[in-house]
Amino acid sequence: MEPSPLAPYLPLAVALLLAGVLAVAVMLLASVLGPRRPSAVKSLAFEAGNEPVGSARQRFAVKFYVVALLFIVFDVEAVFLYPWAVNFQQLGWFGYAEMAVFAATLVVGLIYVWKKGALEWEH
Amino acid sequence: MRVPSIPAADFLPLVPAIILLVGACVLLMTEVFLRSPSRGYQAPLSLFFTGLAGAVSLSSAFEPARPVFQGFAAQDPFSSAVTLVVCVALGLAVLTSSGFLRSRNAERGEFYALMLFAASGMSLLAMSTELITLFINIEVLSVGTYALTSYLRRGTRPAEAGFKYFILGAFSSAILLYGAALLYGATGSTKLSEMAVVLPAALAAQPALVYAGALLVAGGFAFKVAAVPFHMWTPDVYEGAPTPVTALMSAGVKAAAFAAMIRVFLVLGKGMDPSVPLALFSGLAYLTMIVGNLLALPQRNVKRMLAYSSIGHAGYLLVGVAALFVTAEAPAGDGFRFFGATPLLAPGLSEVAARADALKGLLFYLLAYTVTTVGSFGVLAALERSEDEPKGTAWDLDRFAGLAQRRPGWAFAMAVFMLSLGGVPPTVGFMGKLLIFRSAVDTGLVGLAVVGVLTSAAAIYYYLRVVVAMYMRPAPEDERIPVTLSWGTELALALSALAVVVLGILPGTVTDWLQQASTLWLGQ
Repeated sequence: MEPSPLAPYLPLAVALLLAGVLAVAVMLLASVLGPRRPSAVKSLAFEAGNEPVGSARQRFAVKFYVVALLFIVFDVEAVFLYPWAVNFQQLGWFGYAEMAVFAATLVVGLIYVWKKGALEWEH
Repeated sequence: MRVPSIPAADFLPLVPAIILLVGACVLLMTEVFLRSPSRGYQAPLSLFFTGLAGAVSLSSAFEPARPVFQGFAAQDPFSSAVTLVVCVALGLAVLTSSGFLRSRNAERGEFYALMLFAASGMSLLAMSTELITLFINIEVLSVGTYALTSYLRRGTRPAEAGFKYFILGAFSSAILLYGAALLYGATGSTKLSEMAVVLPAALAAQPALVYAGALLVAGGFAFKVAAVPFHMWTPDVYEGAPTPVTALMSAGVKAAAFAAMIRVFLVLGKGMDPSVPLALFSGLAYLTMIVGNLLALPQRNVKRMLAYSSIGHAGYLLVGVAALFVTAEAPAGDGFRFFGATPLLAPGLSEVAARADALKGLLFYLLAYTVTTVGSFGVLAALERSEDEPKGTAWDLDRFAGLAQRRPGWAFAMAVFMLSLGGVPPTVGFMGKLLIFRSAVDTGLVGLAVVGVLTSAAAIYYYLRVVVAMYMRPAPEDERIPVTLSWGTELALALSALAVVVLGILPGTVTDWLQQASTLWLGQ
């Protein structure tokens, strides 16, 4: 019989299975073996260490959104810059020009948001 | 590591798109650096870049087709023609934008920049010959139009339109991507040129995978061109978007999406039984023509009516797409029949000639629809008053009552556009329909031609209703015409009306040119 085209993915399937079994096993063991001494503070909903107050559906200032957006833009830029820097020698002037165009485009965007005042936190 | 070597000549076909991108960046920079409150320079500046891009694509229109960037894109007469249509749509939309935005105190560089960014995506989409490049360019044009849709943040309508367009657009992009992934799985390549080679073998080995992929890709495109049953978003989005943006969406986005769809399916269709794409696009065309035109009938809101009419026109274009897949031999099987007629080429017509005819019809129809629809949205933009928008009466048919006495120029232009959309001679809309339906008859798709003519006849009713309101109904006493007079709107209306009439009477030059371009492209 011809080997299935999915055969190379077998290790992946095993890893997935193991991950599932491990997660379930750890949770089961913790609930079976762990001691239980509940207190008022421990029973609170966990919110990153903060005291959970108010509705979960509160509205955030739009400036958080702008910062998140800018972060993604420059994060992606870094993703491209690292491999480019590693291969700088081989890519030569062509690569340099390509990356200069790429960076220049992002700089135009940065100048735009800067002048628009999107980087001022107190507004 | 092997460094990819890209010849400098590969960048030449990108020049129109690069011009549009540079223009967008220039507009963003002048917007933040020029402190003057007057922004009257922005529309002429955008027009300059649009005109430059259009001129460059026109100058390269007759260069023979060649792949660039190792088969990721192609420079050919087809891409040049589509870029030209996009530039015409963009130029006219920009002209109508300046007065429209100024009267709402919303003229900003971002608006024009987003339009130029979206148009660069459209131009690149027409060139893409690789599924990932194609997908990225669909996203470039979509993200620009999503943002433009809710550009005027007044009331709930623009927000609803933007949100709806974004969610459904993202969903359709995902469907397209899923189809592309299946096609990649079946053929082992995302380049159309390589897929064409492997496709027969892939079809023999895994037909289900190829057909499922092709169907999903077709679904994604059908959403972008607003074909039934993927049309639900169209009326709400077209109504909620600022009117010049609606004009750009209905003309530019449609042209680019049709271009990409044709490119992909000309390759996919070559490998498979021709009756499959034929059935797919004929079915879509039947549904889109009938449903789009029927839903437009009861509309009293002219903007919604134009949105449904845009769906109907996508149906006529799909007739042209279906005609691309008719072959010289009768399809295998029991004979694939439409209304008793088997799709078969007319005697004495070669396959390439028939395809070139259909393609010429499609390109001419796209141009005809562009000048007509952007013109009619231009009249709408000039007439609507921003304070009526929340009530939803800004585009009511009553707004057109008695327009002929108050603004005879606008009324005449609107009448010309309505006749052209309805396909009445001597307008360009008639010539477009003639070319498409003739190519349908020549390829034996008689059923499609019959339904096309019948739905066009029904459509005359709702187009002429606007003309009747303008010329035969008295103007309401208290009605005041808004003073959004701007040279841009007037120029756009005059240019589009002129184009509609001149291209309708003397289409020869353009059809010859498109014929030459289509033959040049398909002949290889």
